Amino acid sequence: MNRMEFMAELERLLAGMPAEERQAAVQYYADYFADAGVENESEVIKELVSPEKVAASIKADYYGTEFNEEKFDQKAYMEKYGRRSSDTEDRGTQKKQPWSSNGLKVLLIILIAIVVWPVTLAIVCVVFALAIAAVSVFASLVIASAAVLAAGIITVIVGFALIFAIPPAALITIGIGLLLSVFGLIATVGTVKLCIIVYPAMLRGFVNLCRRPLYGKAV
Amino acid sequence: MVFNTGAALLDAIVLAVVSREDEGTYGYKITQDVRKVIDVSESTLYPVLRRLQKDECLEVYDRQFDGRNRRYYKVTSRGMVQLGLYKSEWKKYIHKINAIFEGGVTA
Repeated sequence: MNRMEFMAELERLLAGMPAEERQAAVQYYADYFADAGVENESEVIKELVSPEKVAASIKADYYGTEFNEEKFDQKAYMEKYGRRSSDTEDRGTQKKQPWSSNGLKVLLIILIAIVVWPVTLAIVCVVFALAIAAVSVFASLVIASAAVLAAGIITVIVGFALIFAIPPAALITIGIGLLLSVFGLIATVGTVKLCIIVYPAMLRGFVNLCRRPLYGKAV
Repeated sequence: MVFNTGAALLDAIVLAVVSREDEGTYGYKITQDVRKVIDVSESTLYPVLRRLQKDECLEVYDRQFDGRNRRYYKVTSRGMVQLGLYKSEWKKYIHKINAIFEGGVTA
């Protein structure tokens, strides 16, 4: 833990206090680190033991409760940050891992998947097909729009070719061609934009759907 | 040290340390000075300073130092009175303790 992490954690722990109290305390310790100098940073952190201890000392004084310094000796810090001391007492009170730990969960999901394999295969195929269909729908919209645009342009060219042979027909053709081109252009731009919005969202949704069974909802 | 430093004594020591600087002094230096005489952890002093500040025994002001604002503590007149009280109490106290330790012979 460095100075930045220490200060960030301290600030977080003091979140429940009035802003003025919190700021005063945070400034004090920011000053303290700055005055101690970078070369003493780790020394100061060791001396302060943990942000929890510092926060508790501040809160205890502010709320007028008793602050038990021994409680925050090295052991509490070690426990909090995972480097367990080999206390015998530790072993007795060690919490049992909940049975639904991550590794076990994944194993279970794989087992279930194997057992219900025919069903899963079908489901996977359906999901895959649906995904392709969804992707294709939007892609086909773009292609259709582009085709309209292309048709419009060709119609205009044909109109110009006819201009000396049958001028009135040529004008109508050019007009229709221009209308088609504009319509096609607008549609193309619109559908491309739609794709830009929809595809990343679909991808995100799909990824989330896949992670959900493994990591839970909040990822 | 084998003896505990109570809250009042700690207040007195902090006031005395701060009062030695006319211009006031800052948290890190106060801690270092106090730690020269008694064994307190670095997190002990902030609550003490904060409390003394609330009791109007100390006042704070910020001064530019090294491109940042450093908070300085200074003893107020009320703080000086309090310190005087502590000092006279302390004299009485060590007098009595000495009397017991040295069998009535006091220096």
